[in-house]
Amino acid sequence: MSDFEDWARATYRQAGIDVDENELALVELIYAGALNQLEMLDRIDLEEFPARGVDLRHAPKAT
Amino acid sequence: MTHPQDLSLRQQAEAIRRGELSAKDLLEATLERLRSRDSSINSTPVIFDELSQAQISQAPAGPLFGVPITVKDMFALPWRAARNGTSHNLIPAGASGPYRSLRDAGVIVVGIANQHELGIGSTGLYSAYGPMRNPWNPLHIAGGSSGGSAGAVAARLVAGSLASDSGGSTRIPASFCGVVGLKLTYGSVPYDGYFGAATTFSAPGLIARDGGDARMLTAAMLQRPLPQQSGSGLRVGVVREPYWNDVEHEAAELCTKALTLAGWKVTEVKIENLELAGAAFLGRLIAEAGIPSPEVFATVSEPTRALLLAGMLTPARIVPRADRVRAAIRYSLAAALETVDFLAWPTTPSGAPTLEDPWVNLPSGRVPVDMPNVRQNSLANLTGAPAISIPVGLSSAQLPIGLQLLGPWGSEARLLDAAEHIERASDRAFVNLVAPLAR
Repeated sequence: MSDFEDWARATYRQAGIDVDENELALVELIYAGALNQLEMLDRIDLEEFPARGVDLRHAPKAT
Repeated sequence: MTHPQDLSLRQQAEAIRRGELSAKDLLEATLERLRSRDSSINSTPVIFDELSQAQISQAPAGPLFGVPITVKDMFALPWRAARNGTSHNLIPAGASGPYRSLRDAGVIVVGIANQHELGIGSTGLYSAYGPMRNPWNPLHIAGGSSGGSAGAVAARLVAGSLASDSGGSTRIPASFCGVVGLKLTYGSVPYDGYFGAATTFSAPGLIARDGGDARMLTAAMLQRPLPQQSGSGLRVGVVREPYWNDVEHEAAELCTKALTLAGWKVTEVKIENLELAGAAFLGRLIAEAGIPSPEVFATVSEPTRALLLAGMLTPARIVPRADRVRAAIRYSLAAALETVDFLAWPTTPSGAPTLEDPWVNLPSGRVPVDMPNVRQNSLANLTGAPAISIPVGLSSAQLPIGLQLLGPWGSEARLLDAAEHIERASDRAFVNLVAPLAR
């Protein structure tokens, strides 16, 4: 069993969800694709991206 | 004699107002058309025969009195719970905020518009009611998640439909089915009784055959007049990478031709940090999606279940970073929109692919159509801005292509002005195209 499979199965077991091998293979494929994109967020410089309030109903207020 | 559903939505409303057509006759003709025509596209799996007739006697004499529409399965109605494309009652029956706005304008809800289950898919392939098919070619997808709304309008079963949009769910099926789809500014109407209340991405959407009909529906939704102004002389910004460069050549070509016809001043613009938009959208969306109840989870399709399971594994550290990027991109977009009136690019990377093979071949490679669909549309959801998809012609495979316009927060009227300007500049050549199923 791969590290991913061990970890994913343990996570799902905690949530009371059973997954079979085929399902897990599809999940791994989707997760790998998502993580590939999400890791871009790990590389941002937090000083360049300050935490700011967001009001989606309006344009952001001028700074 | 013209079938009443071959009239535009505003013609239907006007004919009733003048006494040339009764609401009862329009409803009967609509129900007959739904029964006879929908089986090949599965846009409207639930039809309210008796309930829709009862609505006529209770409808106020508003601007849309007696006009039949369908409502996506994401909105609670007084007589039906919202099921979100599943077989479960997920929001109890009641008058949802968006429904109330349209009810007060006098519409008659004749049925539930089919949708991709839980709203998490842009194909319309998975639903408790079965897949939605495209009126231009039933072997092709209608798109999603509001595939039933777009399919029904394109097939002329109804002239308008209430949809929703969390990542392009109104605009994508509008593009694939050759109709107009408008995503409202986030939070511009009450969200009670609507699944959109559970996310920071979703806004109600309206689907109609042209800009004039979309304007009537939008004014009813926003409960304020949206007077028509000239759409000429507007300034358009284009963002080449990735929105124009990574789509099928035909899609870019048809959209370029439409912009040329409009005679607008087109300039290239840059949105700072746009390359992070997809990650920010995905990071927060996954956090908000969560896992449905065990009863619902047990009944969803395998692909939806796999998406939800993958989401469970996403590291939480991503979310505050996604929010920081989201805030920054909102500032970048606002800055870009100070130099132009709106941004424009192809709504979808191609015409609708087939149900059997919902993938597309792009300059960047062969991918499931969901990926570029969401990429082309999620900026409006990430930022809260309104956006519209308008038909701009047919591909060589005789499938519609849509042009997307994204404007400043609260600019629905300007987007509709632009849509109607393109219609005039093209002698209505694009909006007058009729799907084979509707001929």
